[in-house]
Amino acid sequence: MINWWSFAEVVIASVVSAGLLVTLFSTALRVGDGDARWRRPLSVALYVLCGLVVAFGIYLIVPALHAFGT
Amino acid sequence: MDIWLIVALVVALALFFDFTNGFHDTANAMATPIATGALKPKVAVAIAAILNLVGAFLSTEVAKTISGGLIREGDGGIQITPVLVLAGLIGAIVWNLVTWLMGLPSSSSHALFGGLIGAVVVGAGFGAIDGSVLVAKILIPAVLAPVTAGLISFLVTKIAYGITKKRERDGFKKGQIFTSSLVSLAHGTNDAQKTMGVITLTLIAAGWQDTGTGPAFWVICACAIAIAAGTYSGGWRIIKTIGRDITDIEPAQGFAAEAATTATILASTHLGFALSTTQVASGSVIGTGVGRKGASVRWKTAGRIALGWLITIPAAGLVGAIAAFIAGFGLWGIVLDVVLAVAAILAIFLRSRRNLVDHRTFHVPEPGVFVRPKRRKGQKRTGERR
Repeated sequence: MINWWSFAEVVIASVVSAGLLVTLFSTALRVGDGDARWRRPLSVALYVLCGLVVAFGIYLIVPALHAFGT
Repeated sequence: MDIWLIVALVVALALFFDFTNGFHDTANAMATPIATGALKPKVAVAIAAILNLVGAFLSTEVAKTISGGLIREGDGGIQITPVLVLAGLIGAIVWNLVTWLMGLPSSSSHALFGGLIGAVVVGAGFGAIDGSVLVAKILIPAVLAPVTAGLISFLVTKIAYGITKKRERDGFKKGQIFTSSLVSLAHGTNDAQKTMGVITLTLIAAGWQDTGTGPAFWVICACAIAIAAGTYSGGWRIIKTIGRDITDIEPAQGFAAEAATTATILASTHLGFALSTTQVASGSVIGTGVGRKGASVRWKTAGRIALGWLITIPAAGLVGAIAAFIAGFGLWGIVLDVVLAVAAILAIFLRSRRNLVDHRTFHVPEPGVFVRPKRRKGQKRTGERR
């Protein structure tokens, strides 16, 4: 009755996405802390990647963006 | 003539349930940003309210499937009547308010299911309830949700603290705004629809709407406004429980917990293994409390919350069953039901005034603002302007 495979999928997807988001954001904070010239652009790039992860979240939440035709 | 009155009552109670759903669940998204000071309390609930309002208009998928499963319908099953829906809603509302009074983050969906189950059992017997669906769709996920979210939250808290240095961790506050907003939006797309589903189900049962059609536009609007108003009124007691009482939350933990909550909820809704938002959010906060060195989790509070989850369905079911029993006496029974429900709501509200918890509870002084120390007794007011 319980679909354990779909539960496993949920766990894997959650670990990967939460881990990715937190790693990106933490690294952005870490890299952004300092005076060297290379730090700032790299940090901004990492924040942008975070933004993309969040945008993917919005894409998943809003059905009009991904569920047309169904 | 009767049907008019009953449908009107169901719509009114359903909207009130939607309101309680809103203020019960503000905490899921906004407890951690409020606790860490990432967002001011009033701003946080305003953002949550707007996102819930927007979310309610985005989808009607859940509303369309609300009546499927759990309660057996069609051939060999029973037809759920508006009166039973009314009784179920009374059970859900009363239980939602009781748990709010105790500051327990219980699942509003479980309260609704519990109330409806109780009402249906009285109206049609135990045979009307599909026990295996109850176990598979509600009980097992209720155990898995907090454990999963807790583990993920524990893991990402370790990552966040491993990568960053202490002085950088205030930066997580900005991130918290985005993750908590995502949780709010996801909540809006799901929860307002439960009420839309209930109202639509009633309209169909009353014969005013065709079977198989989705919620009418006025239903969507009314539900969106009710849940947004509820969210904005802020369930401060529950926010206090999740944000303050389980563990003390730092910005990095808040971000980690919100990321875990968001990821788990989105994954569960999109991979077909539904988990309760409330249970995921509470699990995340516990996980992040275990994950930070030096943080302690108040397991007694966590235990109280778990107990609340355990008894939500039976308790709401009991109230729903009593309401259904009284409603069995006909029109006067229904009127008595509503009178009793309103009395219970008023009593709980008055009781809550005795120890008020509101947004002022979460006042965090701005860093750098001088906090005037308390004056000792007998100390003279020297050189102080009025």
